[in-house]
Amino acid sequence: MSVRKREFDLYVEGRYRSCTTGLALSYSLGAESTVFLQQMVNGITIGSLYSLVALGLTMVYGIMRVLDIANAGAYTLGAYLGVLAYARTHSIIIALLAGAGGAAITGYLFQRAIYTPIKKMADPIVPLVASIGLFIVMEDLFRLIAGPYTITFPVHLPLNRLTLGPVVITGTQAVILLISAFLFLLLWILLNKTKIGLAWQATAQDTETAMAMGINTRSVVAFAFILGYIFAALAGILVAIHYNAVFPTMGDIPSYKMLAIVVLGGLGNPLGAVVASIVVGLAEAFVAGYIGSFLPTDAIAFLALIILLLVRPQGLLASGGEVR
Amino acid sequence: MDEKIKKWLLLVSLFTIALLMTACGSGSGNGQSSAAKTIKIGFFAPETGPEAADGTSAYNAAKLAVEQINAGGGINGAKLELVNYDDQLDTKQAVSIAQKLTTKDGVVAVVSGSYSGPTRAAAPIFQQAKMPMISAYAVHPAIPRTGDYIFQLGLSGIVEGAAAAEVAKNELHAKNVAILAIDNDFGHTLVQGFTQRAGQIGLKVQEPNWFHFGDTEFTPVLTKIKNSGADVLFMPAYAAEGSQIIRRIHDMGLKIQPLGTEGLDSTTQFLEVAGKDANGLVIVTDFNRDSKEQVVKDFIKAYKERYGHEPDMVAASTYDAFYVLAEAVRKSGTTPDKIREGIASIKDFQAVSKINGFDGIRQANKPVAVQQVKDGTFRYFGEITDPTIITPPVN
Amino acid sequence: MNYWAVLATTVGIWVLLALSLNIITGEAGQPNIGHAAFFGIGAYTSAVLNTKYGVDFWGALVMALAAGALMGAVLGLISMRLRNDFLAITTIGLNFVTVAIFQTVPYFGGAMGIGGIQPPRIGGLTFGPVELAVLSWLVVALVVILNRHLQRAWFGYALRAIRDDEAAAAAMGIDVRRYKVLAFVIGTGIAGLAGSIYAHFMTFISAGDFGFNISVTILAMVVLGGRGSIPGVLLGGVILGMAPEVFRFISDYRLLVFGSILVLVMRFFPSGLLGQGSRLQELLAGAFRREGAGVRVR
Repeated sequence: MSVRKREFDLYVEGRYRSCTTGLALSYSLGAESTVFLQQMVNGITIGSLYSLVALGLTMVYGIMRVLDIANAGAYTLGAYLGVLAYARTHSIIIALLAGAGGAAITGYLFQRAIYTPIKKMADPIVPLVASIGLFIVMEDLFRLIAGPYTITFPVHLPLNRLTLGPVVITGTQAVILLISAFLFLLLWILLNKTKIGLAWQATAQDTETAMAMGINTRSVVAFAFILGYIFAALAGILVAIHYNAVFPTMGDIPSYKMLAIVVLGGLGNPLGAVVASIVVGLAEAFVAGYIGSFLPTDAIAFLALIILLLVRPQGLLASGGEVR
Repeated sequence: MDEKIKKWLLLVSLFTIALLMTACGSGSGNGQSSAAKTIKIGFFAPETGPEAADGTSAYNAAKLAVEQINAGGGINGAKLELVNYDDQLDTKQAVSIAQKLTTKDGVVAVVSGSYSGPTRAAAPIFQQAKMPMISAYAVHPAIPRTGDYIFQLGLSGIVEGAAAAEVAKNELHAKNVAILAIDNDFGHTLVQGFTQRAGQIGLKVQEPNWFHFGDTEFTPVLTKIKNSGADVLFMPAYAAEGSQIIRRIHDMGLKIQPLGTEGLDSTTQFLEVAGKDANGLVIVTDFNRDSKEQVVKDFIKAYKERYGHEPDMVAASTYDAFYVLAEAVRKSGTTPDKIREGIASIKDFQAVSKINGFDGIRQANKPVAVQQVKDGTFRYFGEITDPTIITPPVN
Repeated sequence: MNYWAVLATTVGIWVLLALSLNIITGEAGQPNIGHAAFFGIGAYTSAVLNTKYGVDFWGALVMALAAGALMGAVLGLISMRLRNDFLAITTIGLNFVTVAIFQTVPYFGGAMGIGGIQPPRIGGLTFGPVELAVLSWLVVALVVILNRHLQRAWFGYALRAIRDDEAAAAAMGIDVRRYKVLAFVIGTGIAGLAGSIYAHFMTFISAGDFGFNISVTILAMVVLGGRGSIPGVLLGGVILGMAPEVFRFISDYRLLVFGSILVLVMRFFPSGLLGQGSRLQELLAGAFRREGAGVRVR
């Protein structure tokens, strides 16, 4: 034997819990359905994370009809500002505020300096290319300022693993589900109970009528960008805590995957974006769990999108998207 | 109408020429000025773009190696000079860089600090120009097979996988191994080595599960593995994905022993992210941080002092590539042909890793270090030196 | 010399891709942010035929063109059903799914890629960098000539009518369906051709060479240069194609500069550097007119 052994201690994880009711339930349900339920939970959690980022993009798209790749830059910006504030203060609240504040300013500046002036051009490809440029600039600035290596975001979440019958919900999963639910509620209240939120809805549905009715579209557009970027930043912080990692290219995958989700949801429809996120999350979980990775995860979201669009060209939930 | 088009075309071509001249002015450097006392070594790595972290580590190690060799008096009195390029992990750029290095920069040898794609694209150009290239850590088996000027210093993926199978069977006493591997050349080569060896030594291995570069959510696939009855998880992965796999294993309370590879061999990118959850993890790599060799201790100390963090496998391998080159120059001479002969004839050379030598198709033969994470650091766990395991296949 | 030849070949391939996308996006006004898929389909067709079935470069080149065009026809038919942003995102999806297939299916080399692709040959001459550069720019010239003819033919007017107002074009009796699909077929066919040249130039390809970032770069070339303008797109392709080499002297800031160029050009020249109504275009056109007048006096 060629392995020279010095010490040996195996990886033992002593905190594994399983309760008798859980075992009984799993027998009555059968192992298959237990795994099924577990994958449901996994998929919904993944979907909730996606929906937070997708909502930011939807806010912007709904009002501006701009596919704003740079929104994923706000996601990374939020994470960096959050981790910076957390390292100084050890307060998660201040971290969230710092990320949201930085993103709000960025969103406002981008809208005033770049998107609104360009948007006067009819072709939607122009703001798209500009947003790709902004995203590249942001990513490279993060690398130049913070360095190429991963920074950790060591927040200890207070929840332990929950065992509901045969299904295990990990602490991070629970936190993600709770915070997402809270943010959805917050957004729902903002959009339905505040003047500016109602104005957003009116403008998203029909800009011209909204203007005719005396809605100040300028402030609504600013509101959409600020809120959209804040949502991206909060999602960035949450994801960074979830993965304990902040790095310059963390926005790469969200930058395009969110486009698929936002379209699946019917471009500019917040509820649709949430539903589509969960659908994609579930699809990814079940494909990984049952079929194995026959295709890269990114391709799954897009495959779902292509199939759906061929059947329902207006997206999952029809809305203000440009429909034939 | 036609006249206008012609003028536009003229304008465009003028512009092109202007651009070309700019490129020329910046790129031509001082190809002929290499005084007798400097030896120019070419280098490329993905220093910006999607793998900037590894590229930066490689470049940092390259600078450190060149400085240290020069500080120690150079090679037979001549100083080394680094000609550095950033390939942004783009094969097209790697081809341009290779052309520039072989025709314009006056270098005598090249080190690739890049991944398999750019390295493999550049290799034929170096081969054709008869310029020796050492690939520091790229694993694609086609790289050294390009020709007699192309050397692969990193562990062969097949060897690394076979060594992992050996560790799983004899040290971790695996009964049933699950595999979760990255779906690229690195993952596939390691899985191939692992399953081949496992077949020879009678180790039960399940069908591999693949994930993709940039994946972050592993709960679903780990749920599947949890129900498969596996007791060891072989995971050829890079740091970003690997750290998340380890974190989820812990979150879900999986009772499984993870067994990683050199892709996890990074403090900043892996250990800090995985945190406490990494304790107990065993990896196969070629960087033994607990080595008693002075060169290893010096390297770790100097790197930390200079760059403020622990060196990783990428840095160690790149550093070694320069020391192998320096040794070849010292022994054989400074022309590309002499350097090629020098590299090919290297035997029992102790750099950060120990290089037994290069085989007939220029793959390094070196022992496999087995490390275990304890209290947040990689520690010695074992070393595999058995020639039947560590000799890379030549077909 | 070889360095310049390699650079010229790379830029030539980029320019081909930009010109081909311009027919779809610039002239017919159909968004396509997944053009690299067709580039990849051409490259893989050529590589598979050459390495597995011994077809030489010239045969593989024709098949790559056909494969690109065929897949383009499919996308053209999809574009009947989807419009604007929906179509744009479907093309992104097409790019990801295509790359995923190349990456996963062992027939296409899977994760290891395809190596050992033969360089082109004529008689006893094996193409080196210089011959490849000449070849790729010859193809560019052919495409420019073809494109000019198409622009002037009925086809060009039909495309521009569709781009400006699809409903109006249909009302005028233009067969929108036919011209749209044709624009896709021609554009993606040329992209397939570019893919074939790329495969035999690099001699080794893998799925990552045809990713979404490549599509974005091609689109940026078209939009930066000026949608619909052949000189503009040539310029865009040359600028962005050479950028990685030209900007080497600012090493660490290359991506920053690349991104800034995109933002600034879009902000201040939204129709592209030489696009219709761009300030630069007007300025230069004015200069040319004056010069032209001078010639006439003499």
